[in-house]
Amino acid sequence: MEVASSAATERLRLNRFGHAYVGVGAVVIALFFYLALAAQITQSSYDISRLQDQQRQLIAEQDQLRYQEVTLHAPAQVQQQASQSGMQRVLPASYVPGQMVAIDLAAPVGASPSDSTPRWLRAVAMVVNSVGGTRDVLAAGNK
Amino acid sequence: MGSARLRVLSMFVVAMLLAGAVWSRLAYWQVAQHGRLASQAQAQYREYVELPAVRGAIFDRNLTQLVVNTTVYSAFVSPDQVPSTERDGVAQGLATVLGVDKAKTLATLETNAKFAYIARRFPKAKADQLRALKLPGVGLEEETERSYLPGIAPGTTLASNLLGFVDWTGNGNYGLEQKYQDALAGTPGYISSYRDLANREIVLGTHTHQDPINGADLVLSLDANIQYAAEQALADGVKKDNAESGSVLIMDPQTGGIVAWADYPSYNANDFNHTNPAMFKDNVLGYVYEPGSVMKVVTLSGAMNAGAIAPDTVINDPGVLSVGGYRIYDWDHRNHGNIDYTYVLEHSLNVGAMKAMQAEGHDAFYKNLQAFGLTQPSGVDVAGENFIPLPAGSQMADAQYATASFGQGIDVNMVQMLAAINVVANGGKYAQPHVVERVGTRVNPVLLQPQRQVISADAAAKMTTMMEAVVQHGSGWTSRVPGFQLDQCGKTGTSQIPVNGQYTQDVWASFVGFLPAQHPRFTMIVVVRKPHYPGADRDWTMNDGYLTAEPVWQKIAQTMVVDWHITPD
Repeated sequence: MEVASSAATERLRLNRFGHAYVGVGAVVIALFFYLALAAQITQSSYDISRLQDQQRQLIAEQDQLRYQEVTLHAPAQVQQQASQSGMQRVLPASYVPGQMVAIDLAAPVGASPSDSTPRWLRAVAMVVNSVGGTRDVLAAGNK
Repeated sequence: MGSARLRVLSMFVVAMLLAGAVWSRLAYWQVAQHGRLASQAQAQYREYVELPAVRGAIFDRNLTQLVVNTTVYSAFVSPDQVPSTERDGVAQGLATVLGVDKAKTLATLETNAKFAYIARRFPKAKADQLRALKLPGVGLEEETERSYLPGIAPGTTLASNLLGFVDWTGNGNYGLEQKYQDALAGTPGYISSYRDLANREIVLGTHTHQDPINGADLVLSLDANIQYAAEQALADGVKKDNAESGSVLIMDPQTGGIVAWADYPSYNANDFNHTNPAMFKDNVLGYVYEPGSVMKVVTLSGAMNAGAIAPDTVINDPGVLSVGGYRIYDWDHRNHGNIDYTYVLEHSLNVGAMKAMQAEGHDAFYKNLQAFGLTQPSGVDVAGENFIPLPAGSQMADAQYATASFGQGIDVNMVQMLAAINVVANGGKYAQPHVVERVGTRVNPVLLQPQRQVISADAAAKMTTMMEAVVQHGSGWTSRVPGFQLDQCGKTGTSQIPVNGQYTQDVWASFVGFLPAQHPRFTMIVVVRKPHYPGADRDWTMNDGYLTAEPVWQKIAQTMVVDWHITPD
C-alpha cells in the first residue's frame, strides 16, 4: 500500500518547471481577464463620452426651444400677434351715452301724486322740520 | 611618498568636486525643482476639466422668465491638421455656412498655427450644418450665452438697462447681472482624471469629481407687461418731444418693489459687443438731476409734519422773494397775492415753497431731506448708483436752502426721488426701494425689515389731498386717467439744466404721481431730458413737465389700470 501510494505521488509530482508553468499560466489568464476588463471599461468610457456629447447637444436644443417658448410669451411678441390679428387696446372706462329727453318747461304742471303718509307722521314731520329745517330747505335757502 | 599622497589627495578633491557638481545638480532638479517638474509631468497626463455652473435665471413677479441660458458655438481650425489640397474646400465650407470671408480663412489655413478661431458664438443650427460637412481640422467649441427677451423694437431687449448683460468671460456687467454676480454665477465644479495621448480618459486611473453648484434664480418685483408698456410709452414720448432721453420708474408703494425701470434710448443686450458702451449707462440710477418742483412735495410735507404750515395756511406771494442777496422768482413772474399752500402746490409756486422752508427753519428742513432719503444713496440693489452728497447743513448758504426747497441746486437720482415721494403714498413711511424679491428660495431681507416713519400719517394724508388738487385744478391736468380724475395724485417738475454754473434753456421735465389716491397701487416718476416741445425754441416753460412727462405718465398709468384691474377708491 505504501509503495503504491508513493509511486502515485511520484507520478503526480510536477517536474521542476511545472510550478513555473502554472504560475505563468495563472498570470496569463489574469492578464487576459485584466485586458478584457480594461477593454470593456474603455469601450464603456467611449460610450459614455459619446452619450455625454449627445446629451450636450440635446440640452443645447432644449435651451433653444426654451428661449423660443419664453419669447412666444414675451410682451413684445404678444403685442405683435395681437396687432397682426387686428386687436388693439381700448380705454378701460366706458361711459354710457346719455339719452336726450325733451322737457317742455312751459307745459303746465300735472296733478301731484297723492300723499299716502299717515296724518300723525305728517304732524311729527311738521314739528321736526320747523325746528331743524330739512336739507332741501337749507339747500334752497343757501341758494 | 609625500608626492604620492598629495596626488591621491588632489585626485580625491577633484573627484569630490566633480561628484559634488553632479550631486548638487541632481539636488537642484530633484529637490529645488521638484514641484515645477512634477506639475509639468502631471500636466501631460492629468487633465483638469472645469464643470461650469449653470447661471441662475431671472424671473419677473409673474414668473415670466426674462433671461434664458442658451448654448452657442465657436468654430476653430487647426491649420496644421488641414492638408494643403483641402484648404480651399475647407475655406469654402466655412464661408458658406458661417458667412466668413473666404480669402481671410484661406490665409489663416496657410499659416502654421495650431489653433485659430474662425467665428465666435453662432447658433446651433449653423453648428449642425458645419458638423454635417465634416471638414478636416475644423472643430466646434460650446459656450453658454444669456439670451434676453425682445424689447419694443427690433434690435432692443426688454429692461436691458436694469438687467445688464453677461460678457463672454461669464461676468455680469451693469444692472442686476453685475450686482448679483456671485449669487447668479454659482460655483463651478471639476473633473480631474488621467488622459492618454489621444486625450481620452484613462478610466482605471485616479479620478476626482466635484459637482458644480448652480447659480440661484432671481425673482424680481418687476412686471414684464408693465415694463414693456413703459418702454413703449417712453419711446413715443421722447420722440414726440424731440428730447435727448427719458426714463420711467414705477414702484409698489407698500413694499418699495420696483415694477418697471425703463430708459430710452436703450440697447440690445443680446448684441452687447456691437453696442456703443455709452449706451450701457443706466439713467435711472446713474444720472443725477435737479428734480425741480417735484421737491415741493417733500418741502411742504416736512413743514406740515413739523406743524409749521397747513394746507389752508394763507401767505402772500408777490411773485418774487429776496434771499441771501438773490431775487428768486415764481416760474410765471406774477404777483399771486394772498394764497394758501394748496394753491402753492397746484400752481407750483417757488415763493410758497421758500416760505414753507423758512417757516420750518433750515435745520428742520435739512433733517427733513435726510429723513426722505435725499442726502444718501438709495441703496437699491442694482449696480451703478450715482449720487452727489449734499453739503453739510452748516455749509449751505441761505440761497442754497431757498433753491433746494423747490428742487434746484440739489442733485438726486430718480430712485431717491421716487422713494421720497412714495413716503406720501405709503402713509408717511419710507419703503426701501429694491428690485429683487427672492434669491433662490431666500426672501430679500429688505422685505422683512420694519419701515421707517418719516412723517405722520396725518401729514401724508394732507399732502395726498393737496396732490389730488394738483391733478384736479393745477398743472397735473394732462395726467388724468379716465375714471380716476378725482382719485389720483401728482406733481410736475421742470428744472433748468446748469452748464458751467449758468442755467440754460434746456430742462429736465418730470412728473411724479400715484393712484388711487387713498389706496395707491403704484407710484411712478417720468423724467424727460432736454425736451424741445414744438414751439419751445425761445421759451423753456413750453417744455414743462405737464406737456412732456405727464402724457407719458398718463399713458402708462392707463395701461396699469387695465392690466392690474385697478378701480377708483
